[in-house]
Order: sequence, then C-alpha cells, then structure tokens
Amino acid sequence: MAKSALFLILALASLPAAAQRAQAELECRFTGTDFVYDCLIRLKRAGEPLPGASITVGADMPSMPMAHNIRPVKAKPGKNPGEYLARLDLEMRGEWAVKLRLAGPVKDQLILHYDFDEKGARPVIRSGRLPRK
Amino acid sequence: MDDYTIGVLTNIGLFSFLALSAYLLLITGEMSFGQQAFFGIGAYCAGILTAMYGVSLPLAAIAAMALGALAALLVGLPTLRLKGLYFAMATLAAAEMIRILFELLHFQRTVEGELLGPDGTQGFRGIRWVFESGVEPLHYLALIYVVLAVVLGLFAWIERSRLGATLRSLGQDPELAASLGVDVNRLKLGVAAAAGALAALGGVLYAHHNTYIEPRNFDIMLGIHSLAYALIGGLGTTFGPLLGVVVDIGLVEGSRVFEGYRMIVFGGLVAVLLVFRPRGLLDERVVHWLRARFS
Repeated sequence: MAKSALFLILALASLPAAAQRAQAELECRFTGTDFVYDCLIRLKRAGEPLPGASITVGADMPSMPMAHNIRPVKAKPGKNPGEYLARLDLEMRGEWAVKLRLAGPVKDQLILHYDFDEKGARPVIRSGRLPRK
Repeated sequence: MDDYTIGVLTNIGLFSFLALSAYLLLITGEMSFGQQAFFGIGAYCAGILTAMYGVSLPLAAIAAMALGALAALLVGLPTLRLKGLYFAMATLAAAEMIRILFELLHFQRTVEGELLGPDGTQGFRGIRWVFESGVEPLHYLALIYVVLAVVLGLFAWIERSRLGATLRSLGQDPELAASLGVDVNRLKLGVAAAAGALAALGGVLYAHHNTYIEPRNFDIMLGIHSLAYALIGGLGTTFGPLLGVVVDIGLVEGSRVFEGYRMIVFGGLVAVLLVFRPRGLLDERVVHWLRARFS
C-alpha cells in the first residue's frame, strides 16, 4: 500500500501527453438465456482496426451504477484484427453503460451506452442524438 | 488482486465519503436526502478542471471541495431552519434541482481535437486524468484509501474533542445546547458545509475512477443509499458508516446468486437488519460496551 501511494505521488508530479484516442463499437446478440448476450467489440484507432489490446468488459446501469453492475470479463480476440468477443451476463433488460477498460497498445476506458433487449443491443439515443463513443 | 476485487474495494472506498458526509449531518440531528448533489458537484467541477483545462487532480479536488462546501452552505441557509421530515424533504428537493441543472448544463470545448465537457443528459465523457497519468487501478485504490484514512483521522480527532461533544449535543437536544451558549445555527451551517465538501471529495474520486459521469448517477437512489450506510452501520462511531458501506455493498455483491431477484433479497435483508438493530450495527450502546471492554 505504501509503495502504491509513493508511485501515485510520483505520477501526480507529471502529466504525460494524451495518446490518440481509441474508439469502439458493439454488436450484441441475445443468446436465448435470460439477459445473456454474446458481444463483438470492434476497436479502432484513427479509423484503423486496433489489434493486440487487452480488454476488460464491465457494465452498469447509469441510475445505480454500484448496485446494478456485472462482474468484469476479459474479451477474447475475434476472427479479424481489431475484433474481440465477450459474453455479458446482465441482470435485466434496459440501458447499460458498457465499460471497456483497455490495456496493451493503448490505455484508456471507453463507455458505450446500449439498450439491451431480446433482439440484441442498440446504441442509446437521447434527445435525438447518439452519445459520442 | 483481480479486477473484480479491485472494483468492489474501490466502490466501498468511494461511497464511504458519501456515507461519512451523511453521518456528519446525522450526528447533529439532521437527516439529509441530498448529499448526492454535492457528490455530483464535486464530480462535475473536478472533471471540468482536469479534462478541459488540464488542472492537476489535487488542485481540482481542492476547488471541487470548496464548491461543494459553498453549494451546501447555500442549500443549508434556507433549509436548516426546518426540522425533521421537512428538512429531509427540502434537501431532497434541492438535490433534484441540482441534478436537473446538470441535465441543462452544456459546456464543452475542444481539447486536442476532442470535444469535451458536460453535454446535458448525454453526460460528460473523457475524464481521463488518471489514465493519462499512468495511474493503475491498484494505485488509484491506494490513493482512495489514503485519502479516506486522512478523513477518518480528522473525524476521530473531532469526536474526541470538545467540538465532537458539542456536535453530538446538537443532535440530542439543540435547545439545551443553545441554552449552554452554543450558536446552533452557525454550527449547523458549518457542519453542512463540511459535509458538502466531503461528499464533493468523494465525487471527485468517483468521476476520475469512472471517466464518465451523467446526471442520473446522482439521483435519489444514491441519496437513499448514503443515508442507509450510516443507519445500517450505526451512529455510535465514525466506523459505523464505513461498516454500513461494507455491509450494503457486501449484501449487493453476495446476493448475486439470486440473479434478477437480488435487489429484492437485498432490500429484505436490510429491512430485517433494521428491525433487529434500529440504530445500526455499531450503535451507541455497542460502542460504549466495546470502549469499556477494550480501554
């Protein structure tokens, strides 16, 4: 704990320049089992697929993020570069904020808002606009 | 430590600030349903400063705490004249007003080619100070608990001081305290401001852990939980609210086996707990007994 605190104090002293941002899209299929979805994540940076990333996928409901959430799962590499697969076991249908914690070539956390139902998942539209990724 | 354990411990640490904020008001006899608003103010203020203006996290935290205290003072000025349920209702109304202000807040600027800042109901993305500073989740967890330890140290010092005794006297009998020369209104305003600053500090850490915030994060559910932490854990000691957070999040996590029914099970367990321990697990009687036994 003391080591971690020391590292943090050192980290606080400097701010590295921001790396180019990664972007992600989600395509989820309902498995037929209640609230379980197989999701394909397409990760890109500067419009190009971003392979070799380690992605931890979590999700929570925006109105009560600490009560309605799922255990984070590691995504596996998919068939094509920049594609990753993860199975999400949600608690209920509705809007979820899917959190992609990226490690490897890029360190970041992306939040994607999707509506999950028996047909799959769609990006949430609020006030007629899609939230930015 | 795996990601899940780090996530749960981080949540416990983050919501402890909110629990302590509600506890501070409870020991002076005030039940606030609105501490989540100051948590949100801290989150938005620090997020704006770090993500949009490149301010470092410690400076942003100080500014956010000052703003949280000021907002709590402004809410406290008219509402602290009210008593009991009326005060609770007024704080809830104030918190909802602040949440709606977050929904109306559109304040963005382009930073390194990316549009950042609060965008009403769309929320506020890209609060990446922690990631850009290379702080790992475990290190951030350490930071949260170091800050929490400092806050607990302050609480322990206050509880043993004359100020602590005065604060408890306000909760027990404000008229008697006033007759002994205590300026009840001024002291309650000071406590409200301190509780606002503390909640804002929790919000700062929450926003930078989550990297994304939106108005719904700070709705009434969070306010109810913040009160529940203190009431479940007990009002006898500062460690009561912390125990409340551990029990609350522990029950939520432990009831995952019930899948879709787990919030019903969770609610039932909390109700049973409060039936048998109406002043919480660490109430004044238990704390007195523990002190007599171990001192």
